[in-house]
Amino acid sequence: MNDLEYYAPDVETLAQLLATADYLVDEGLATSLFLSLRLPQPLLLEGEAGVGKTEAAKALAQVLDTPLVRLQCYDGIDAAEALYEWNYPRQLLSIRLADSSGDKLSEADLFSSDYLIRRPLLRALEHPGPRPAVLLIDEIDRADDDFEAFLLELLAEAAVTIPELGTIRATHPPVIVLTSNRTRDLHDAVKRRCLYHWIDYPKPQREVEIVRRRVKGVSETLAVSVVGAVARIRDSDVQKPPGIAEAIDWLKALELLGIVELDAEALERTLGSVLKYGDDQEVVRLLGLESLVS
Amino acid sequence: MIALDLPPLVAGFGRRLHDAGVPVTPERAARFAEALTLDKPVARTRLYWLARATLLSDISQRPAFDRVFAEIFGTRAPEVEAPERESRETAQDERPSTSREGDGGIGAPATGRGEALEAQEAPVPVLASDEEVLRSKRFDALDPAELAALYRLMTRLEIATPKRRTRRAQKARRGEHIDLRRTLRGSLRTGGDPIRLARKRRRIQPRRIVMLCDISGSMEPYSRAYLQFLAIAGTNAEAFVFATRLTRITRALATKSPERAIRRAAAAAPDWSSGTRIGEALRAFNDRHGRRGMARGAVIVILSDGWERGEPELVAREMERLSRLAYRIVWVNPRVSAAGFAPRVGGMAAALPHCDALVSGHSLEALAEVIDAIGAERGGEPPPIPEPEAEEPWGSATPQPGSSVAMPSGYGPSRGRTTPGW
Repeated sequence: MNDLEYYAPDVETLAQLLATADYLVDEGLATSLFLSLRLPQPLLLEGEAGVGKTEAAKALAQVLDTPLVRLQCYDGIDAAEALYEWNYPRQLLSIRLADSSGDKLSEADLFSSDYLIRRPLLRALEHPGPRPAVLLIDEIDRADDDFEAFLLELLAEAAVTIPELGTIRATHPPVIVLTSNRTRDLHDAVKRRCLYHWIDYPKPQREVEIVRRRVKGVSETLAVSVVGAVARIRDSDVQKPPGIAEAIDWLKALELLGIVELDAEALERTLGSVLKYGDDQEVVRLLGLESLVS
Repeated sequence: MIALDLPPLVAGFGRRLHDAGVPVTPERAARFAEALTLDKPVARTRLYWLARATLLSDISQRPAFDRVFAEIFGTRAPEVEAPERESRETAQDERPSTSREGDGGIGAPATGRGEALEAQEAPVPVLASDEEVLRSKRFDALDPAELAALYRLMTRLEIATPKRRTRRAQKARRGEHIDLRRTLRGSLRTGGDPIRLARKRRRIQPRRIVMLCDISGSMEPYSRAYLQFLAIAGTNAEAFVFATRLTRITRALATKSPERAIRRAAAAAPDWSSGTRIGEALRAFNDRHGRRGMARGAVIVILSDGWERGEPELVAREMERLSRLAYRIVWVNPRVSAAGFAPRVGGMAAALPHCDALVSGHSLEALAEVIDAIGAERGGEPPPIPEPEAEEPWGSATPQPGSSVAMPSGYGPSRGRTTPGW
């Protein structure tokens, strides 16, 4: 029995373990994470901003008690920033040293792993175990097509090829979680290699549980009214509907201010922690702040 | 569910999904089979999630998936919380099943659209003189064979957008930055002395182009030709159609055969030839796509006559939001070329202050102007625009068919009043 089978013998056990890491999952997400561990297969998570896509990977790493290696994607990210880079200053220094001391230094020495700077992808692949690292490739839609193509080998084979060193294959293939905000369609080739799950906003009851786990010691009534208000804001006409992350931020802000009951005045004071656009705040004010807390 | 006969089940389910428009590859089917061995689907919900995690590749496929799942396994898909926002989106991405019934027509065509597609199967030879005629003929006066010929002429058009600098660098002899990686690499050849400086510069890429095409009843004579225009726009383009709702057809158009592309696009949009809600459509675009990054720094092309059923205030507000995101907004309105045109129609008048260019694009010749407008850089200073006579509706001041209409001073857009062809 390998370790992953121990941690994820079935979907229920994994869901319970994740709950101990304060990450509550519904059956759909639990099943997807379970399959991602056991097939094993990279998992592509999509959903509105702030529904806990990134948190899923963090919780998984915590449960498996392995490092979380995170790669934040951005426009223009390339192999030198994601995978590896040669340590040129050190190479030069070694050449000079070899010169002055008369040592022999071959090119193979210079391109050995001593001179390799390991970027996130390589670190995740080379993780010595015993359990695989969790590799989070965050907001893949921000990177460009070229970078997606570059990821294919990693996703399919858990291996990367470095021209000077050859192919590096993971002894413990990392658990790979990709997240996307759907600013553009990902290439089919990437999707083909991944499991797919869309994270919805949780039901109100579940959301109350989630925020109460994240903001310790907060009263249930306050949590319920915050979650209710957030749900109403989501249903209204705002451009940027608040996610769970915003609900948690908001609750923290209220707690810090010592507010025990959410009323229109408290809402007005803390609106900035849940709505980040002036237009959106205006929309909610037009609706009437009282209607949110009734 | 004790002894599931796996392979036939998986294969049958996969095939039905495929028929329903969910692309299930053998690879995915095999993965589903493997998933079933890992965790016994004791309940139907578990089976549902195992299937969904392995077989789905996009949330837009969910309605079709749920339908097939219910057909085969006899129940509704398990209760999954689907907030209003999300269900709206999936509902609109759904390909109606009518798309598979081999109807070649576009929605409910008024005249001979069906034959139009048939006619295009056989190549229609175009003589040079015909070509001349086609070039200046209004799109709404074209017959099916001419539309087919038009497509071939259209494929010669090249749509180029202004460039933007990306974060990614490429090597360049006279680049602006020193490429340390290559310089030091090269220096190893000369004993560690960086003799030759390698240089790089930021890569230049064409901007994204987003086309929003009105397919409402009033635009019907033009929509077929405009769809063809959308289809040739190429890989750097995103395409949407709207009448009462917004439908993304980028994927539907992504095929080599223009016939297939247009048929698929037509099947994807359920609201052909219905009323127009430009404001609603723009809002849906801004909320769902534009804000997330699709419109950021892009050239937006709206093909519509601006006849709005809803409130013009919404159009104005959403156009303003869009103009804050986009690089330029080009509005293509086939009625601009008509004599006596004035942007008095509610939607058009509301949108105009936020447009960077208004062009007619009613014929192939006029499309050249559209392409110029798309390719134009955002100018710092607007070109001088002569003042129109006080009483005269400014549209009629330039009655030349095929010419574009400049902004009157009263409608001065906030920036870059470049009206090509002026």
